[in-house]
Amino acid sequence: MLTSIFVAVVSLALFWMAAFTLWWQMHAWRTPEVLASTRFSRPDGDEHVSFSLLVPARHEQAVLDHTIQRLLESTHTDFEIIVIVGHDDPETTDVAASAAERDPRVRVVVDTHEKKNKPKAMNTALPHCRGDVVGVFDAEDQVHPELLAHVDHAFRTTGADVVQGGVQLINFHSSWYSLRNCLEYFFWFRSRLHLHAQKGFIPLGGNTVFVRTDVLREADGWDPNCLAEDCDLGVRLSSIGKKVVVAYDSDMVTKEETPSSLMSLLKQRTRWNQGFLQVYRKKDWQQLPGFGRRLLARYTLMTPFLQAFSGVIIPLNAAVALFLDVPVGIAFLTFLPLVTAAVTFVFEVVGLHDFGKQYGLRVRAVHYLKLVVGGPFYQVLLAGAAIRAVWREQRGRNDWELTSHIGAHLGPAEATRDLREDVPA
Amino acid sequence: MTSTLPAVTTTKVPAQRQPAPETGSARRTSLPDRLRSSRSDLLLCGALLVAILVVQGWNIADYPTLSDDEGTYLAQAWAVQQGKGLAHYTYWYDHPPLGWIQLALLTWIPSLLSPESMTVGSMRVVMLLISAISAVLVYILARRLSLPRWAAGLAMVLFGLSPLSVVLQREIFLDNIAVMWTLVAFTLAASPSRHLWHHFGAGLAAATAVLTKETMLVILPALFLTMWRHSHRDTRKFAITGAVTACVLIGLAYPLFALLKGELIPGGGHVSLWDGVKYQMTRPGSGFILDSASGSHGVLRSWLYYDRVLPLGGLAGALLLLATWRWSVTARSLAGPALTVGILALLALRPNGYLPAMYVIQALPFLALVLAGGTASVAHAVLRRRRGEGEKRYFTGGRYALAAVLAVAAGAYVVPRWYDGDHTAVTADANAPYRAASKWLASEVENPEGTRVLVDDALWLDLVHEGYRPGLGVIWFYKADLDPAVTKTMPHGWKDIDYVVASPTVRRDAVDLPNVKAAIEHSTPVATFGTGDDRIEIRQIQTASGGVR
Repeated sequence: MLTSIFVAVVSLALFWMAAFTLWWQMHAWRTPEVLASTRFSRPDGDEHVSFSLLVPARHEQAVLDHTIQRLLESTHTDFEIIVIVGHDDPETTDVAASAAERDPRVRVVVDTHEKKNKPKAMNTALPHCRGDVVGVFDAEDQVHPELLAHVDHAFRTTGADVVQGGVQLINFHSSWYSLRNCLEYFFWFRSRLHLHAQKGFIPLGGNTVFVRTDVLREADGWDPNCLAEDCDLGVRLSSIGKKVVVAYDSDMVTKEETPSSLMSLLKQRTRWNQGFLQVYRKKDWQQLPGFGRRLLARYTLMTPFLQAFSGVIIPLNAAVALFLDVPVGIAFLTFLPLVTAAVTFVFEVVGLHDFGKQYGLRVRAVHYLKLVVGGPFYQVLLAGAAIRAVWREQRGRNDWELTSHIGAHLGPAEATRDLREDVPA
Repeated sequence: MTSTLPAVTTTKVPAQRQPAPETGSARRTSLPDRLRSSRSDLLLCGALLVAILVVQGWNIADYPTLSDDEGTYLAQAWAVQQGKGLAHYTYWYDHPPLGWIQLALLTWIPSLLSPESMTVGSMRVVMLLISAISAVLVYILARRLSLPRWAAGLAMVLFGLSPLSVVLQREIFLDNIAVMWTLVAFTLAASPSRHLWHHFGAGLAAATAVLTKETMLVILPALFLTMWRHSHRDTRKFAITGAVTACVLIGLAYPLFALLKGELIPGGGHVSLWDGVKYQMTRPGSGFILDSASGSHGVLRSWLYYDRVLPLGGLAGALLLLATWRWSVTARSLAGPALTVGILALLALRPNGYLPAMYVIQALPFLALVLAGGTASVAHAVLRRRRGEGEKRYFTGGRYALAAVLAVAAGAYVVPRWYDGDHTAVTADANAPYRAASKWLASEVENPEGTRVLVDDALWLDLVHEGYRPGLGVIWFYKADLDPAVTKTMPHGWKDIDYVVASPTVRRDAVDLPNVKAAIEHSTPVATFGTGDDRIEIRQIQTASGGVR
């Protein structure tokens, strides 16, 4: 009896978690009208907003120049590029300096913090920004030349304080996990983020994000102690009622590559998860008006916890249902999470097809196969990263006086490597 | 209606030659964003609903004759309520159980309030709820398929008031419940907001329909077509795969259930899903429907006896719509229902298929929709086709006169016939013999607990309430030959039985059932109710020595 109740409760909890996640994941495709509204509207040719584009770069001399050149090809007429380099990184500094010599729109800011991370770098550059809007790009990003014009238009027509553009990992053919990683980005930026924008609670992405300079300064820039400073900024801004607009156009997204190894993906994911937990514990989201929004915030920020929970509990639950004698009705309940998982799988397959169509990429049968077969393993990876993040955060709490070292206590070298994990090989 | 349909239209139907929009929903009259906020739709639909409920509900217990199948399903619903599993005899996968599980839910509260009311006659009332929902769904679906208001009302009337519908929808058939779910699926598939989860819901509803009555499986292609036409190019792949996935996953629950019970494949000493499916697929055919000597033809005649307008008119409407698919907007928007009718008609035309009397139930709403759609097409052809700005007044007048003539002619043909049919339905008492037999067995038999009676399913629950032992005391007559669990309690065959209630069903089927046949042969009537072929005899078994057991 007790086992039956346990199995029923756990199965239903898992079912609702999966169902809600699925519901949100499919947000953009709810109706054709919703899908149409997720796109940038066509710019009218008018330009009123000036941009300061921040490009933090660290040991990225190989790709930085290309990124800057491509940014300079933007059709928008009023922008500056601020490359932020470290005082201990002469190679990257050289590349940035030579770009600045060639084009007056490029400037270089040197970050002299002893322990470096991305939010500190960007905070260093914030006082130097002259534009109305600060935009953030990573050093390896491929940015579409018309993006700024579209963002300009979006700011003017929607009265937004923040515009988040799409970011898309593109090298789905590299490995089984990059396939899943690409698709995760696809569902996140194509669909779920729009739901968050609509609900007024949004964890922002790390780049292709544009914030009005005064709003950003009022908010004191980025939190230098947070491992997910982008998410944190979004949560803080939406909590005080700033308007965030998300737009996704497949030809306007910023293209990136997946981490180059499974280990770096695991580390990257651990960092994000831990960052989410930090944001959760900062409690800025509690200022959100409305119970529903706070619930969404709580759920979204606790996703790592829940992932770890489900990672442990799903096998346990299945084992209980299989090996212990439970009534047929209860055994049926244990299949409920499996049903949602199956639906999710099917939608992912369709998503992969759509992804291929949108980006003109050829998706072969073997990719669909990898997607399905790799699913459970990817889930294991996510659960692993979640457990790792929880464990690390827990350990960080034990020596709370060391919070200022949260980024560092991974070891400064490791923290840098984490930052560089997004770099294409 | 039937008189006008084939003659006037065939090639003229292309009502509007504009290209169908991407969404596939060409709107002839503007559909309000929310049907429920449109006052005239609400009024029309509500008024028709009241009329349908009155006609279907009045005298529902006494007409038509109680059917054996009704008794089967209701008794199994009773078994579910009593916690006796899915049936009070061994559940043998004859049909998926969802149908009578729903019946058990529907009759749950009434049977709590008054347990004796759990008999076929009195529980027919719950079918009114099903009919009401289905009728409203026909209206909504018609509107969503772009029919004008009056045509949607016509479809609802055809569906709810045709004497054939009245007779069949009053009965406790799984098909009626399955039709309701099919209509839910179609209505969601044609959702004007083209919402992903509406389509997903359509898949769920379709699976529920199939698990209620497995024959709904054949309608799924038409549902698919409807969904395809009503989805947007940009979101279609998500919507349709979602719906298909939902349908398949829920549908898999049935084999999963069998698997969990260890009854998926045949094995020694237990029933199996496989055997159940095999039985249904290999049922002896009832002959070609157009061969006047066949059983199928008899079934067809019995439908046409009640109403010709809906089956034949609907069929003609479907053929017309399928033939004018290329030109007519109405034909395209009604493609789903027309295809449904087409599929069901083709299946009925199998050379030697098994055609049960309730087969037509699943076609009724679609026949009504295509007939209403065909009528709308004709009306449009007469009133609007090639009507220019400067058309002469007398010519326009002529159009309206012609329309009026057609409407009056159709009315003159239909109304008297339907009046007769529905009049019978609300006044005739076909079940007096059953009630009398039940009363006799309740009052004249001294020791019900110790008495064993072979009875048809329709009367079974009555006797259970009178104190007979369910299952082995009061016995579904064919179980005496077909269920090992019952026959092993009858080592002396017919001699172990006290009474046989020989209703028409029992006499008909006894031919193939040795025990039942012997019981009838070795018994004499002690009470007879009714006359002729419809009579019900209560026969007491006579042992060889001449005495009763």
